[in-house]
Amino acid sequence: MVPQLEVEFEKRLGPMLLQMQFSVGAEILVLFGPSGAGKTQTLQAIAGLMRPDRGRIALDDTLFFQREPGARAFHLPARKRRVGYVFQQYALFPHLTTLGNVAFPLAGRPDARARAMALLERMRLDHLAWRMPHELSGGQQQRVAIARALAAEPRVLLFDESFSALDRRIRERLHADLRALQAEQRLIVIYVTHNLDDAFAVGHRLAVVRDGRVEQIGQLDDVFTRPANRRVLEILGIPNAIAARVVEVTPAQTVLDWDGRLLAAPPLDLPPGAEVTAYIRPEDIRLIYPDRPLNRMSGQNLLEGQVIERRPGRHLHHLRVALNDGHLVEVVHPASSYTALPLLPGTPVRLVLRKESIVVIAPRSAEGQGDAPATVLAEPRDQNTA
Amino acid sequence: MNWSALWLSVQVTTIATVCITAFGLALALLLTRVRLPGHIVIETLLLLPLVLPPSVIGYYLLLALGRGSPLVEWFNVRILFTWPAAVVAATVVGLPLMIQSSRAALANVDPVLENAARTLGSSEWRIFWQITLPLARRGILAGVILGGARALGEFGATLMVTGNIPGRTQTLPVAIYDAVQARRYADAHLMVLVMTGMAFAGLLWVRWLEPPPQRARRETRSDAVEE
Repeated sequence: MVPQLEVEFEKRLGPMLLQMQFSVGAEILVLFGPSGAGKTQTLQAIAGLMRPDRGRIALDDTLFFQREPGARAFHLPARKRRVGYVFQQYALFPHLTTLGNVAFPLAGRPDARARAMALLERMRLDHLAWRMPHELSGGQQQRVAIARALAAEPRVLLFDESFSALDRRIRERLHADLRALQAEQRLIVIYVTHNLDDAFAVGHRLAVVRDGRVEQIGQLDDVFTRPANRRVLEILGIPNAIAARVVEVTPAQTVLDWDGRLLAAPPLDLPPGAEVTAYIRPEDIRLIYPDRPLNRMSGQNLLEGQVIERRPGRHLHHLRVALNDGHLVEVVHPASSYTALPLLPGTPVRLVLRKESIVVIAPRSAEGQGDAPATVLAEPRDQNTA
Repeated sequence: MNWSALWLSVQVTTIATVCITAFGLALALLLTRVRLPGHIVIETLLLLPLVLPPSVIGYYLLLALGRGSPLVEWFNVRILFTWPAAVVAATVVGLPLMIQSSRAALANVDPVLENAARTLGSSEWRIFWQITLPLARRGILAGVILGGARALGEFGATLMVTGNIPGRTQTLPVAIYDAVQARRYADAHLMVLVMTGMAFAGLLWVRWLEPPPQRARRETRSDAVEE
């Protein structure tokens, strides 16, 4: 049977109302969002370290928390929930050895020491069994913390920015450990982070959290290709959001009016006159060499402007282009492309974009609600733009 | 040297230290864990014996232990002018030091560690004995020593509630006062030396308990190698 953790609660936190609703199965769900969005408090509510004002949290048949009109109020103490919690500050008991820490939840069991040793081996820490926490590096401490959480035989494992203080290389190893562990023990894992690279490295699904609520939840790449609204775009750091109006809809395409400029976009099930939010994929924008003919580009959108900033990267270069009408557009291209083009600030450039590179994410009337992802999207999910 | 006074002082101080430890730790826990209404007033009241003149404390104790007090009238506890009264006086003056020191130590224990223990299935009772108390032990022990040293040195209130009966209720500090009054300076010299030595040893012990600042701060060994 697939375990299922159902979370639905409200909690007033100063000026913010935390309103969480999601469910997690045997998978790694990433809670992603800016700090102060309520991610940690959500984990605390699940672990039993904080009591919501209202709601219901349950793991399969086990009720964790309930406070609803007409229902029996209930709060299962943290120690009875079997929810493991891995803190950012490691939170190892400083007066106990590595082995003592891992054996702590096993106290009273005759095989405590053997089991703790087995867990240390599983986390490749057996050679550090007699060290004190302050004698370990950050990555080692966090592995001890994971081994200790596992010793309590949790059904749910929570990670609260657990690896964010560690180097990238160590993070990668811990992410690999975590994915293996989750698959092996069919754990429900919730992983809180504000780092998108980490989200992609471990997550199966992504919940975008802002101002105390889930803006969107779904498979990682789904959320990225189909953000539900402009706020999700901002949180995910996707550039080139535009506000436009539908002018004409044909089976072949939709024509959008972007502040007076007409853009061809994929066909949509929207009436002419509808106001929409869309974005242009920065990696889908092509530059045209000045000496190339334009006739091959017919049917595509053509934009003109000039480079205002160029940021080289290891693999990808970033350009900021000011269009002739004043809008700014961000362009991303492989470092190996356009090596013959002088792309210094001030250089006039022509940009071309296929209609598929314009992603309409929501009619703007639905923006305020921040409800389910827009279903207006007829765009096929092909990532291959070449 | 007044041996009976020294022996009585040792007994009184030992029992008073046990009382100071038990009551002080309980009160410190109450003050750190429970947000009582008007807790600032309660804390201030508990600190009062530190600054009140011994005669004022002695006066209150006479009221509390003397005729007409609930202790005497309802429970028939009659300890005024006996050595247990010295224990009460020593406990009252030593308590604020214990409360202050152990309260700071308890408040310093990272609540994240206690939360971690909760998620690992520990009861509150086990968390207190195996996490909180061991981590706060230096501060608590310092409080016990300071409170005990203060109990040993208690003079004024003791004088008022024990009646200064040589051989029965006369503690070492009171005996020193007596010796000086009677111009037995050789006696006084020796007893003063003993008192000073014990107080010095106690304070030295407290200083030794204070963690060196860099050891307390350090969380991760900088030279530990990642593998």
